[in-house]
Amino acid sequence: MQTFSNANAGAIVLSLAERIIENRAYLSEIDGKIGDGDHGVNMAKGFGMAADRLKDKETTLSEALDTLGTVLMTEIGGSMGPLYGMMFTEFAEKLDGVPAIDATAYSRMLHAGLEGIQSIGSAKVGDKTLIDTLAPAIEAFDGAISSGKSFSAALDALIAAAEAGRDSTRDLVAKIGRASRLGERSLGVLDAGATSCAIILKELSLGARSRLA
Amino acid sequence: MALDTVMRLQKHDVASILANQTGEEKDQMTTRASSSRKGGANRGAAIDTSDAIPLRYGDDPYVWACWLYYEDGMTQGEIADAMGVSRATVNSYLAEAREKGIVQISLEPARLASLTIAQELKRHFGLTDCLVVPSDDNTRPLIDRLGVAAAQALPKLLKSGDTLAVAWGRTVLSVGEHTDIASLQDMTVVQATGGTTATFSYTPELCAAAIAQSVSARCVNITAPAIVKSSAMREMLLDEPLLQEQFETLGRANRVLFGISSLRPNSTIHASGFFESVSLQHYLAAGAIGVVAGRFIDERGRPVAGPLDDRTIGISLDMLRRIDTRILVAGGFDKVPALLAALRGGYANVLITDAATGHGILRADGVTSLDGRLSQKPKVTQTPSSYRTHVKKFLNNPNQVVEEMLDGVVRAHAGYLQPINGSNRALVARNGPRSGKVGLVIGGGTGHEPCFLGYVGKGLADAVAVGNIFSSPPPDPIVQCAAAASGGEGVLFVYGNYAGDVMNFEMAAEIAEEKGIKVRTVLTTDDIASSPVEDREGRRGVAGNFFIFKIAGAACDRGLPLEACEAVTRKANLRTYTVGVALEPCSMPQTRRHNFEIGPDDMEIGMGIHGEPGVTRERIKSADEITDSIMDNIFKEMKAVSGDRVAVLINSFGGTPMMELYLLFRRVAQRLDAKNIGIEANWIGHYCTSLDMVGASISILHLDQELTELLHHPCETAFLRIS
Repeated sequence: MQTFSNANAGAIVLSLAERIIENRAYLSEIDGKIGDGDHGVNMAKGFGMAADRLKDKETTLSEALDTLGTVLMTEIGGSMGPLYGMMFTEFAEKLDGVPAIDATAYSRMLHAGLEGIQSIGSAKVGDKTLIDTLAPAIEAFDGAISSGKSFSAALDALIAAAEAGRDSTRDLVAKIGRASRLGERSLGVLDAGATSCAIILKELSLGARSRLA
Repeated sequence: MALDTVMRLQKHDVASILANQTGEEKDQMTTRASSSRKGGANRGAAIDTSDAIPLRYGDDPYVWACWLYYEDGMTQGEIADAMGVSRATVNSYLAEAREKGIVQISLEPARLASLTIAQELKRHFGLTDCLVVPSDDNTRPLIDRLGVAAAQALPKLLKSGDTLAVAWGRTVLSVGEHTDIASLQDMTVVQATGGTTATFSYTPELCAAAIAQSVSARCVNITAPAIVKSSAMREMLLDEPLLQEQFETLGRANRVLFGISSLRPNSTIHASGFFESVSLQHYLAAGAIGVVAGRFIDERGRPVAGPLDDRTIGISLDMLRRIDTRILVAGGFDKVPALLAALRGGYANVLITDAATGHGILRADGVTSLDGRLSQKPKVTQTPSSYRTHVKKFLNNPNQVVEEMLDGVVRAHAGYLQPINGSNRALVARNGPRSGKVGLVIGGGTGHEPCFLGYVGKGLADAVAVGNIFSSPPPDPIVQCAAAASGGEGVLFVYGNYAGDVMNFEMAAEIAEEKGIKVRTVLTTDDIASSPVEDREGRRGVAGNFFIFKIAGAACDRGLPLEACEAVTRKANLRTYTVGVALEPCSMPQTRRHNFEIGPDDMEIGMGIHGEPGVTRERIKSADEITDSIMDNIFKEMKAVSGDRVAVLINSFGGTPMMELYLLFRRVAQRLDAKNIGIEANWIGHYCTSLDMVGASISILHLDQELTELLHHPCETAFLRIS
C-alpha cells in the first residue's frame, strides 16, 4: 500500500505558498470581474506570512498545515481567512500523529477540511464558491480508491476533478457572497475562491504523489 | 511617452479616398478594407448635410470629419465651419468614429511590444508599475536609454516630502544624469549603503549626490565605508550618533531607487573592488546570483549568508522590502537571472527595463504565452468604449488605499485616537479606556467611513478594529483592541451582523477570554428590510450602528457593569429601526467599476451597505413618496404612541448630498409630527457610508428614559461630540 511520510513533508506547504504567490495577480484579476479584486493580494499575503514562518525549518506536513491554517485564520480577515484557515487547521488535525499517510488518512483529512468549512459557511455545491472545487475533488478521490485504484492514481483523479470543478463555476450563477448581487452577470466568469482552491488541492496532491513510497 | 499613432480610416470607400491622396500618403499608413457598412449611418439628422459633402467622402460625414481632423490637422472649430455643423456635432462625429472603428489608433510595433511586455511583467510579478523601453533603438547605449526612461517615470513615482534611498551603480548614476525635476519640494535623498573606494565614477556618494541634485533634494550620505574590516568595527561605527542619525533618515525612506548587479564573470561588480574576491567566491559557492544594494540573493531571491554580512554598513534586505515604492532600474541580458531573482524576492515593485531584458525575464520564469502575441502583426488596440467604464477616484495605489486612508485618519484625528502597538488596523481612544470601566470594542470593514473609526473616543468606543474594504478585520487586531480597551471589568464587542465579522470577532472573543478578558457581544441588526420580523436575529447591522454604539459607549463610560452594558445595548439595538434606499451602485477602488447595477430609472428599497439585496426594486419616486414608504415600514414595527420621543439619523451612503438629506428629514419630521412623536435629537449627514453609493438611510431610535439619558451622555470623537 502506498503511503508518504508526514515527517519533513512541510515543504509541500512552502510550494503551496509559492503557487499562490505566483498566481496573485491572476487571482485578483478574476476576482475583479465579479468581486472586490483583492483575492490574490489577500491570499498571497497570508500564504507569504506562513511561508516566512516555515522557511528554513524542517517540519511535518501536519505542523506546516497548522501554521498555515493559523495564519489564515487569525491574520487575514474577511470570509476567506476563516474559511481557508478552518480547512487547513482541520487538515492538520487529522494528519497530526500519523507518521505514514495512506489514502484513508488523506481522505479523512479532505473530509475534515470540507466539514470544517461547512460548519462556519453555508455554501453548497452549485453556489459558485470554493466548495465547487473541493467537494467533487474529494468525491473523485474516494471513488478512485473504492474502485481499487492506487493512492497515486486517486491523487491524479482528485486533481482532474478539482480543475473540472473550478471550470464548472464558469457556468454557475453566484448564490452566496458579494458576487451573488450580480445574478446572471456572474455567469461566464470563474469564481476566484474555486480557482485558488484548485491551485491548493493540485499542489498539495502533487507534493503527496511525489513522496509516495 | 510619445506614441507613434497611425490613423486607420476604415470604410467601404476608403480606397477611393486614398486614390486621391496617394502622393501625400504617409508610409506608415495602413488600410483595411471593410465591407460592413456602419450601422448608424441613418442615425439622427447627421445625414441632412450630405448634399454638402465633397464627393470623395461618399455620403459619410464621419469620414469627412475624421479626414479633416486627423489628416488635414484642422481644429474642431474649423471643421465645424467647413462642414456647416456645430462644434458639438463635430465632436460627436469624432467620438463615434472611434467607437465604430472608422478611426483606429494603432501603435508602432516596437513600442507595442514593449507595452505588452511591460503589462505582462506587471501582471506576472504583481508589480505596482512597469516601464519597458523598446530594444531596437540602438542609437545610444542601453544605460543611457534606461536613464532616460527612469527620468520619465520618476515624476510619477516621487512626491514632495519623500525620502528617497539611493543605491549605487552605473544605471543609477545614469538616472541621476538624465533626470531633472524642478517641481518637487522638501525632498530628502539618502545614500542606501556606506561609501566605497573612488576608483570608479558611480560610487554610492556620487550616485546619491547626482539623484539629489536632479530632484532638488537635501542629500544625506552614509559617512562610513560600505564594508568594514570586522563586525566589531561595524558595531562601533553604528554606535556613533552621526551614523545613527543617518540610519534614522534611511529608516524613514518611503521610496528606494536601485540597480542590480549580476555575479557573472564579466560583471562590473568584480572590477569595482566593492567586494573582496575571496568573499565573493564564498557567496557564489553558496548560490548567490545577484547583488541588491550590497546584499547577496539566490535565484529565488532569498538572502545568501556569508562572511561580509556583519561587516556591511547599509540598508538590509528586510529594510528594503519594507519601503513602499521600490524602483529597480536595470537592463542587459546578463542581468536576467539576477533581475528574476530580485522580482521573485519581492525587492522591487516598480521595474524599469528594456524589451529584450523584460522578455528574457518572462521566458526565464516560464512565461511563453507572450511569444505568440509578439510575433503577430501589430494588434490594433480598440479603445472605443473605455469611456465611462471606470469610475473616477482619487487614488494612488488601489491596493494601498486602506493603509493610506488610515495614515490620513491617524494624522487627522490624533486628538481622539491612536494606533495600538504601531498598527493602524487597531486604534484605541485617547483617554478612553480606564481601570474599572467596561471597554467597548467596535469594528468592521472599511468603505463605511466615518463608521467605525469616527466613533472612537472618550465616552464612546474605546477601540476599533479595521478590516479591508467591505471585509472583516482578522482576529488579531480585534484581540489587540480588546486588550487595549480592557479596564479589568470586561469588554463589550458591538458590530454588524455579517458572516465574516461574526467568524473573526468570535475567534477574537475566544482568544481574549483565554487571555483572561471577559467578552460579551451584541450584534447589531437594525436593518429592518434585510429579513422579516420573525427573523430579527438574522438581520444586518447598518447605519443604526451609530445609535447603538452611542448608547453602549455611554453605558460603559458611566461605569455600569458588563451585564448591564450588554443589556442596554441590546435594548438600543431592538429599538433602532433602519431602512436604506439605493439609487446608484458603489464602485470598488481596486476595480473602479460598479459592483452591481441599478437601472437608469430604478431605485432599490432596503439595500444593504455593501449592496446586499433589498426588499423591492421599483421606479424611482419623489423624495416624499420614498420617505413615506420607508417610514411606513418603520411605523409597522416601532410601537410608538403619541407623546413618545425618538432620535433620527438621516444618513448618506456617500454619494447623496446634504441638500437631498434635508428633504428626507423634512418629511420624516412631518410624519413624526402627525403622530405626535417628538424628536429628541437628530443627525443629518455622512455617518455610515458605502463608498460612493448614491442613496440614503433613515434610522429611528425609539427612546425611553434610560436611552434618552445615555444618548445625551457626553462623548468626544472625531464625528460625534456631545458635551
